[in-house]
Amino acid sequence: MTTLICGGSKCGKSALAEKILDGVCEQKFYIATMQPYGEEAFCAIERHRRIRNEKNFETIEKYRDLEEISLPNGCAILLECLGNLLANEMFCEYTSKNIADKIISGLIHLKNFSSELVIVSSIVDCDGIEYSPETTKYCQILAEINSRAAEFSDNVIECVYGIPITLKGRAIC
Amino acid sequence: MIMVIGGACENKVQTVIKLFSVDPSEIVDGRKCNLEEVMKSRCISNFHFLIKRIFELGKDTDEFVKRFCNQNSKAIIIMDEIGCGVVPIKKNDRKMREAVGRAGCIIAENSKYAVRVCCGINTFIKGNNYEN
Repeated sequence: MTTLICGGSKCGKSALAEKILDGVCEQKFYIATMQPYGEEAFCAIERHRRIRNEKNFETIEKYRDLEEISLPNGCAILLECLGNLLANEMFCEYTSKNIADKIISGLIHLKNFSSELVIVSSIVDCDGIEYSPETTKYCQILAEINSRAAEFSDNVIECVYGIPITLKGRAIC
Repeated sequence: MIMVIGGACENKVQTVIKLFSVDPSEIVDGRKCNLEEVMKSRCISNFHFLIKRIFELGKDTDEFVKRFCNQNSKAIIIMDEIGCGVVPIKKNDRKMREAVGRAGCIIAENSKYAVRVCCGINTFIKGNNYEN
C-alpha cells in the first residue's frame, strides 16, 4: 500500500503519516531527507527524531539518491519529505538532467520492496507570489512529482490543519 | 467550536454569517481587536493575524491558542490557509507561518466542525449534519 500525504507548512503531515503506520507490525524505517543546516532545521530534526524513537522507527538519513537505498523486503517506510529531497537534488554539485524522473524512479524503487510506503510532500504553489526562475522551476517540479506520485499511490491525502482530506483511495485515518 | 478556513478572499465571513446565523456585530477582527476580547467573543475573523500579533509580542502562541480553546470553547474561528507556499526567506516570516500552522492544528483538533470555503462554496471537512 502506498500513501501520499501533501500539505502546507506545519499542517500536521508528519503526525498523520506516523499515525498511518501506528498499527503496522513490520519493521519500520524513517527516511529523513532534511539536511541539518542551521538551528531551525536542527531543532525540527531533533523534535521529529524524539517522536519517531517512541514509535519504533529506525531513522535513515538520505538526502538524495533514493535509488541507492537497500532495506529488508516487506518493511514499512515513511519518507519525509519530497520538498527537501527535491531541493537537495536540484541544488547540489551534480544534478541529474531530469530530476523528476530520478525522484519518481527512487520512489518506485522503495515501493517495490516495501509493504507499506508513506510519502510526505509539500504544497508550495498556492501563495500567488512570482519567484525567481529557479524557485519557479522548483515549484513546477515539485508539483509534477506530486502528481506522478499520486498516480501510483493507492491513497492520496491532503492534510489541512491536521484534518485529513482523502483525494484518492479510501479514508485510512 | 467551529473552524472556518480557506484562501484570503473566499467569502469566509459571509459564509459564517449565513451558515451559522451569526450577526456581523458578533464578529471581532483578529487583526485589531483587544487580545483578551477574543476569549469571550462568539466569532473571531482573521485569526491568523491574531496569531501574528501574539507572535510579534514575543508570546507563546501555542499556549495562547490552548487557553483560548479552554476559555471560549463555543467560538467560531475564521482563519486563512497560509501554509501552502514557498518557505519564506525571513526567519520571522517562517516562524510566524509555522505558528499559524500549529495554531490551526490545535483549533481543528478542538473543533466539532471544520468548514473549508472555496469560491464561496463551503465543504465540511470535519463533522457533518450541522444543525443551527
